[in-house]
Amino acid sequence: MTDTRELTLCEAIREAYIDEMRRDERVFMMGVSIQAGSFPHTKDLTPEFGTHRVVDTPLAEPAIAGAAIGAAQEGLRPIVDFMYAGFSYYAGSEVFMQASQYYFLHGSQLPLPLVFVGTCGVGRRVANEHSTLPYGALIHHPGIKVCMPSTPYDAKGLMKAAIRENNPVFFLWHTSMMSFKGHVPTDDYVVPLGKADVKREGTDVTVLTAGMQVHTALKTAEKLKDEISIEVIDARSFEPFDRDALFKSLEKTTRLVIVDEDFERAGFSAEISAQVMEHGYDLLDAPVKRVCHPNFPIPGGYMDVYTMPTVEKVESAIRDVCR
Amino acid sequence: MQTTAVAAASKRGKASPLTDEQKILLFRNLMLAMALDRMMMRVIRAGRMVGFYHEGGIALAPGVAAGTFLRKEDILWPHYRAHGLAHMLAKGIDVKLYVAEHMGREAGCCKGRSSFHFSFPQDHVFGLSGNIGANFPMVVGYGFAAKYKKTDQVVMNCSGDGSYGEGRAHEALLISALWKLPVVFWLENNGMAQHSGEQDLFPGKEISVLAAGYGIPAMKVDGQDLFACAETALAAIAHTRSGKGPIFIECRTLRAQEHSVGNLNNEGPVKRDQKLMDEWKATRDPLKIAAARLIEEGLLTETVFTEWQAEADKQADAMDEFSEASPKAMPSVEELYTQVYAGKGN
Ligand SMILES: Cc1ncc(C[n+]2csc(CCOP(=O)(O)OP(=O)(O)O)c2C)c(N)n1
Ligand SMILES: [Mg+2]
Repeated sequence: MTDTRELTLCEAIREAYIDEMRRDERVFMMGVSIQAGSFPHTKDLTPEFGTHRVVDTPLAEPAIAGAAIGAAQEGLRPIVDFMYAGFSYYAGSEVFMQASQYYFLHGSQLPLPLVFVGTCGVGRRVANEHSTLPYGALIHHPGIKVCMPSTPYDAKGLMKAAIRENNPVFFLWHTSMMSFKGHVPTDDYVVPLGKADVKREGTDVTVLTAGMQVHTALKTAEKLKDEISIEVIDARSFEPFDRDALFKSLEKTTRLVIVDEDFERAGFSAEISAQVMEHGYDLLDAPVKRVCHPNFPIPGGYMDVYTMPTVEKVESAIRDVCR
Repeated sequence: MQTTAVAAASKRGKASPLTDEQKILLFRNLMLAMALDRMMMRVIRAGRMVGFYHEGGIALAPGVAAGTFLRKEDILWPHYRAHGLAHMLAKGIDVKLYVAEHMGREAGCCKGRSSFHFSFPQDHVFGLSGNIGANFPMVVGYGFAAKYKKTDQVVMNCSGDGSYGEGRAHEALLISALWKLPVVFWLENNGMAQHSGEQDLFPGKEISVLAAGYGIPAMKVDGQDLFACAETALAAIAHTRSGKGPIFIECRTLRAQEHSVGNLNNEGPVKRDQKLMDEWKATRDPLKIAAARLIEEGLLTETVFTEWQAEADKQADAMDEFSEASPKAMPSVEELYTQVYAGKGN
């Protein structure tokens, strides 16, 4: 029997760091003020691992992202914590070009094992840089894997998979979920990249989502449970994406709503809609419906709480596909 | 005083280049800046602010000095600490609109949609970025535009020591020097960035040494000494306005509290020394230092100090009340969709 206890999302990520740094000397991490712990997932790691493995850097995102690439090429397994994922945009060339495209372009010879970490998410009233979710932009660039957990269990398992992965991975976590609690085994386990998870079974409509929006979808499913049976699929990883799991669900429900906290235009939900159109058209009894962030910059003030997906918007989309 | 700036000033004659009126203006600007800082802290602690606030504390003299002597058409990029309130009020900007922005109100300077960003384009203050260091490329553009338009505008580019980690800081130094742009690199160095101390940020204690590599003149000043900062600002503005190209000013200041409200107060893994910070507040408070100077020079009395202080607090409270009186900005998604692109160009 496995031992499990309640951990917060950040504690679960931290546990993955500890396990993997104990297991593998080559793993180290860099970031701005990670030793003190700008966020709790890197707090108090220096007593065990030292300041040479938990490295505080100047504010120099392009340099640390590029340094991770270099260190990985020389056999280390770096983790770079950007703090907010929005700060990683300073390192656009390193993330989108150098890290993502290195392996393929250089003859698929040398694996590039590194993990970028960033927090993101709408709804905290802090506007664009401290909210923006980069997964749509990331998956546009082949060569980097991208994941985001919705539970502490998934957080630990996905982070372990990311650290062991032989490719660049961008691990995103939702800032509003920092203190979300859930059971986490003490055992070693991974949540493989590219494996979706059915977070709630249902027969009428499939809601595909990830991260914080899994919880919006679950709340909506609970609210409508006497009327509509909703299956909630947590993508967990955007690239690779588990299309088989989605299609298996659609065989049953024949209706799809995608809830995506990122911008609607040309993002994850647009990509999946196109894939369903091309490869799963016959499975559908209604057009796909999306609930996303509108196509304007993420506002702050009192606005982001209602400009992002809400239970009301998800409910309305579900009712639309059921008509 | 041992600063280069004051040494430079005293070379021109014993007296400070500051007039009595300027000293009093600076002093009252600092008083108001610190009153605003306290008011903002009350507002965020009461849960009435949206977004963040990063307390200024005893670090506001450089900002006041940087802003006070700018003309309306001069370009200012305020340091984000205390959210640039000191810099902007010193430049004569109606900062209550920015207070209202922090509270998500319709009266806010960005229509309540930005949390902590500001924009006063008519005052040549264009914005703030959540990404630290975003100022550097833009100030190159401001300087370029000033030269292109053949104006004598000065660009006051204020930011912290942390921002000089970014490559874009170094790129901006390079291009400003190369093109002789009218940019003041106004560094407010508190020896810290977030939860890291200077030993983890920069090899050496003085960041202004960077300037020499690009042939940019540099001056250092005690950031707790309002009048020394102001003399340096005057000299820096005169230098850039006369077409001599960029200049680098390093104000050494102090962070006597945590990075932001409710945050840790560490240097790396180690908690910072509370006693030392309390001592700074007691002995290195720029308002107390400046007040002592003014009293010594017969420009201020204890009674007037108390009167002015009360006035500053009243002014700060009035900005809070103004903001509270404005409705929370909650436009519809449809309305926001109309706001993404500007209208027709020409
Ligand atoms: C690109 C980027 N990296 C990191 C951060 C997080 N951050 C916000 S303020 C700050 C410290 C900035 O230090 P400094 O410029 O010295 O200003 P100070 O707070 O010391 O006044 C950091 C690291 C950020 N906002 N943007
Ligand atoms: Mg600093």
